[in-house]
Amino acid sequence: MHSSETAAPAAVEVAAVVTGERSSPLQTRPRTIKLSTGDYVLRGISYVTVSLFALFCALPFVLIISASLSSESAVVRDGFGLLPRGFTLTAYEYIFKAPRQIIGSYVVTVTMTTVGTAIGLFVIAMTGFALYRKDFRFRNYISFFIYFTTLFSAGLAPTFLWVARDLGLRGSYLAVFLQLLMTPWLIILMKNFMRTVPYEIIESGKVDGAGDFRIFSQLTLPMMKPALATIGLFLALGYWNEWYLSSLYLGSSVEFKPLQYHLYNLINTANALRNSVAGSNVSITDLPSNTLKMASAVVATGPILLLYPFVQKYFVTGITVGAVKG
Amino acid sequence: MRRRTVKAAAAVAAFGMSVAALAACSGGGDGGGGGEGGAPTEITMLVLGDKPTNGRLEAMLEQLNERLIEQANATLDLYYIEWADWQTQYNVQLLSGDDNVDLITTATDWLFAWENAEKGAFLPLSPEMLQEFAPQTWEQVDSEGHWEVTKLDDGEIYFIPEDNFTQWTNHGFFYRGDWATQAGFPDGEITEFEDFTTYFQWVKDNVPDAYPWDVAGANEAALTGYLQGHTDLQTLQQVSAGNYYPFHTSESDPDTVTSWYMEGDELLEAAELAQEWNEMGVWREDALNYDGDTREQLYAGLSGVDQHHTQTFTGGVYDNLSTKQPGSDPRFFYWGQENGNYFRDILTHGAMAVSANSSNPEKALEVYELIRNDEECYRLLNFGIEGTDYIVTDDGFLDFPEGYDSSTDSLGANFWGGRMDEFELPRVTDAPNKQELFDQLDADAKDYPYSTLLINKDPIDPILAAMGSVFSEYIPQLQYGKFADPEAAIAEMRQKLLDAGYEDALASVQADLDAWAQNQG
Amino acid sequence: MDSKVLLLMCLPAVAFFVVFNYAPLPGIWIAFTNFNYRDGIFGSPFVGLQNFEFLIRSGQLWLLTRNTILYNLAFIVLGNILQISLAIMLNEIRMKYFKKVAQTLMFLPYFISVVLIGVIAFNLLNYDTGALNALIVQTGGDPIKIYSIAGAWPFIIVLVHLWQSTGYGSIVYFAAIMGIDKSLFEAAAIDGASAWQRIRYIILPSLKPTFIILLLFSLGGIMHGNFGLFWNLVGNNATLYQTTDIIETAVYRMVMSQNNFTTSTAVGLYQSIFGFTLVMLANWFVRRMNKDYALF
Repeated sequence: MHSSETAAPAAVEVAAVVTGERSSPLQTRPRTIKLSTGDYVLRGISYVTVSLFALFCALPFVLIISASLSSESAVVRDGFGLLPRGFTLTAYEYIFKAPRQIIGSYVVTVTMTTVGTAIGLFVIAMTGFALYRKDFRFRNYISFFIYFTTLFSAGLAPTFLWVARDLGLRGSYLAVFLQLLMTPWLIILMKNFMRTVPYEIIESGKVDGAGDFRIFSQLTLPMMKPALATIGLFLALGYWNEWYLSSLYLGSSVEFKPLQYHLYNLINTANALRNSVAGSNVSITDLPSNTLKMASAVVATGPILLLYPFVQKYFVTGITVGAVKG
Repeated sequence: MRRRTVKAAAAVAAFGMSVAALAACSGGGDGGGGGEGGAPTEITMLVLGDKPTNGRLEAMLEQLNERLIEQANATLDLYYIEWADWQTQYNVQLLSGDDNVDLITTATDWLFAWENAEKGAFLPLSPEMLQEFAPQTWEQVDSEGHWEVTKLDDGEIYFIPEDNFTQWTNHGFFYRGDWATQAGFPDGEITEFEDFTTYFQWVKDNVPDAYPWDVAGANEAALTGYLQGHTDLQTLQQVSAGNYYPFHTSESDPDTVTSWYMEGDELLEAAELAQEWNEMGVWREDALNYDGDTREQLYAGLSGVDQHHTQTFTGGVYDNLSTKQPGSDPRFFYWGQENGNYFRDILTHGAMAVSANSSNPEKALEVYELIRNDEECYRLLNFGIEGTDYIVTDDGFLDFPEGYDSSTDSLGANFWGGRMDEFELPRVTDAPNKQELFDQLDADAKDYPYSTLLINKDPIDPILAAMGSVFSEYIPQLQYGKFADPEAAIAEMRQKLLDAGYEDALASVQADLDAWAQNQG
Repeated sequence: MDSKVLLLMCLPAVAFFVVFNYAPLPGIWIAFTNFNYRDGIFGSPFVGLQNFEFLIRSGQLWLLTRNTILYNLAFIVLGNILQISLAIMLNEIRMKYFKKVAQTLMFLPYFISVVLIGVIAFNLLNYDTGALNALIVQTGGDPIKIYSIAGAWPFIIVLVHLWQSTGYGSIVYFAAIMGIDKSLFEAAAIDGASAWQRIRYIILPSLKPTFIILLLFSLGGIMHGNFGLFWNLVGNNATLYQTTDIIETAVYRMVMSQNNFTTSTAVGLYQSIFGFTLVMLANWFVRRMNKDYALF
């Protein structure tokens, strides 16, 4: 009955090549060797649908890139096109006019993202592990304690007063950095992902006399790579896309604004000036407002997109989890 | 591994620095306290605008501070509320109660001066304090009786008005004299709001690329322009419901509160005119959702009209439009031009308050006194360093030096809470007919009679918010002529306003007006 | 059993929520006051429910609550269906680079700020210069006034939301599928299970816990609308309010010109209490079905 499953080294090689896995042949088992018609149909549908959806997602971005390279007057007159109209780099020149600013913003954001993701991930994983442990007496209380915060929040003014005045964090990057460290959703998600770790591993760790923290750091954590990759990705995106907290807590009091906030300011200034009564006192400089918006989207998105393929390999590594259990 | 260590070290360093910077900030206010001779006291002034990064501000401040140290043993620093989300930012800054800001730019009509004074954000300024630390300012404002417009009902002064600086912020249309002439207006002069129908039609027929009036988003211009010129109603600027000002009095009966949204047929007439314009295709079908730069459209010859106020016209539009569209002969039609129903600027369109949390309020006043009344300080703060930031031409105009690019080189000190006519210079970019226009405006303008009126909005806040919601549903559609039957729509709106509690709000405002009128005698 | 170490491991997270979420909670009191800076949150005069009154007076509370909930339900239901389908299909993809490129592309919408989405939508849909109408005119049709048709906007808004969130949201499900024990698939293949059976009996059941947790979190926020999305797509266009106005946008228009921290807190409290009730009911229900899946 199991004959077809017997590991043939050649099949392992093939599977590894096909799936692009980087795992050792010893751990990987060959995949199903024969595909049914249904499988082919499903696969075919998958390729087509995924391609279409990916294109659907990419299309507006193509518009954005082409608009960011168009001349302002052409965009105002003719709208967006798939190819730039009246090719120019004016918008990018405007953004990079003060390169010190934008480089500083990159440094701030990259630092926050890497450090915040690392610390946040560790704390989230640790908490998720504890909450997953059925023998942990307080797991329900703590879960509820954490979840409750998603239902009730104090709102803008009370939170602001507390963090800015009582904690004294106004004008400090810490106000932004700390508040993004974790969310209830990511902790509960982590706890949920822990289910894929077989409970016997924890039991066996205990039998060997390992402490809870050692079981977590040495036995569980290495098996959690897909979960860590997912949650780390969410954390990183959270840091990268952040502008709201920056606008509340940092304002103009830091020399370098986080990247998204810097760009948010760039694209909103022209709008704010035009629509405000304050306009009486201000001369509006000739901003390439449409193309500027588009260029700032490109500048803000580019680098973080490179992160995804890097993270993705951990999703694939996750496949080996099953092997340990078997 | 090593890479990680480096990153972590960088992070620790970055956060360490920010904490240190924070500590430095909060520690700044300790010294000084009025005692001369010690280290100079640093006074921080909150201004609105984007923080300049071209280094010119710092250079100017260095020179300014030399003078300030010499005169008052103080230095000045600026704290910026930037334009993105400035309303929230401004109020959040006051909410935070930071003691790192001493002077606060404010205004009653666009920067919530009354609300913030009531909430305790500003330090009450006693006459003695003003006389001692800002004597010249006190003298000048007092001699004209202008302190009255800065007092709450507790009789305390809460801010210093920018009352010696002439500006006109009454709204109107910028249009092109060349097109108006061709449309048949003698001398290209349009003098009635409805006459724009003819002008728009001409643009529609003769300039196919252009919208007669390319307008973006919700604004009330199409309605107020008509209402102001066809009634003698005057808007009570103290009460708003959402984005709209619901209460008025009439010139003939200044003691009775009414509303042009609720009473009379003029609103319907205005709405019908808007409907006619909409059907003509005066604006984009989707003007409400459009957010393009309509001023640029005007400059590009793609719009027949743009709408804003006098200051914008004389200070920029005239120059830009005549440069970019040679021969366009820029003109300005202002609301109420037909019947003289418009106001002089209120005296508190700009003002300066002292923060309730300032550790050095006396010193702050001393610094304010200097930047308002000392010509050297004034010029530095407002124009910059002579020769690099500005030059004065032989005939006394303010101009920029060779190679100056206003989009990158502007000083951006944005001192809007105490400018003085006597120190201002005419600018080369001003409209040549500026003085003529100002005189014309001045001839018919009315003074806003209710500058000292205080309205207690607390009890009617919920009603005003509810009315704001009704307005936001109906006004944008009336303004762009989107209702098939404006008469029915207006009746519906009026009913909803009544349901929201209009009568109660009206009674409450009327009571406040009565009490005020009685006090006035 | 000794839980000391486990308790310690929870400590940083618990401390975090105490400091940033629980400590400011008493400040909700601000919703019942006429707040001023001098007296602070707890010293300002108490005004009872006055800050809630405007919602009722506007006569729109029901419409706004309904719109907010219906939109969120559509987002939750359609969103989860699409995310799960996409995750399953991604799992079928074998070509490494294809997968990487496709997933990266699907992330793109998440990065495009809603301000830009509003701009793009206008450029595609507007009457005078919109790309869609240009196409219709070219093919001999009459242009459509999309920005005047209230009935069209629920579809547009839901579509934009799905476009923006599906790629991002499918990651959670994709990761969950990746965590499935591979021997299950092998056993199924040997037993001759069809592709559909594989999905039905292995993949979907293993996604259930994730789905339920996602659901409970979404329900908690069912009264909170995505302000940026609605504001940037609809803005001041009152013709569309009947079908597009949600609590956040309406409140923004009512009080945006006033610095009203008390009203916003009051509205937030209304949303929280509503959401809280809903979640407690849902959790109670889930608990009865399967204790393991309940949140608490």
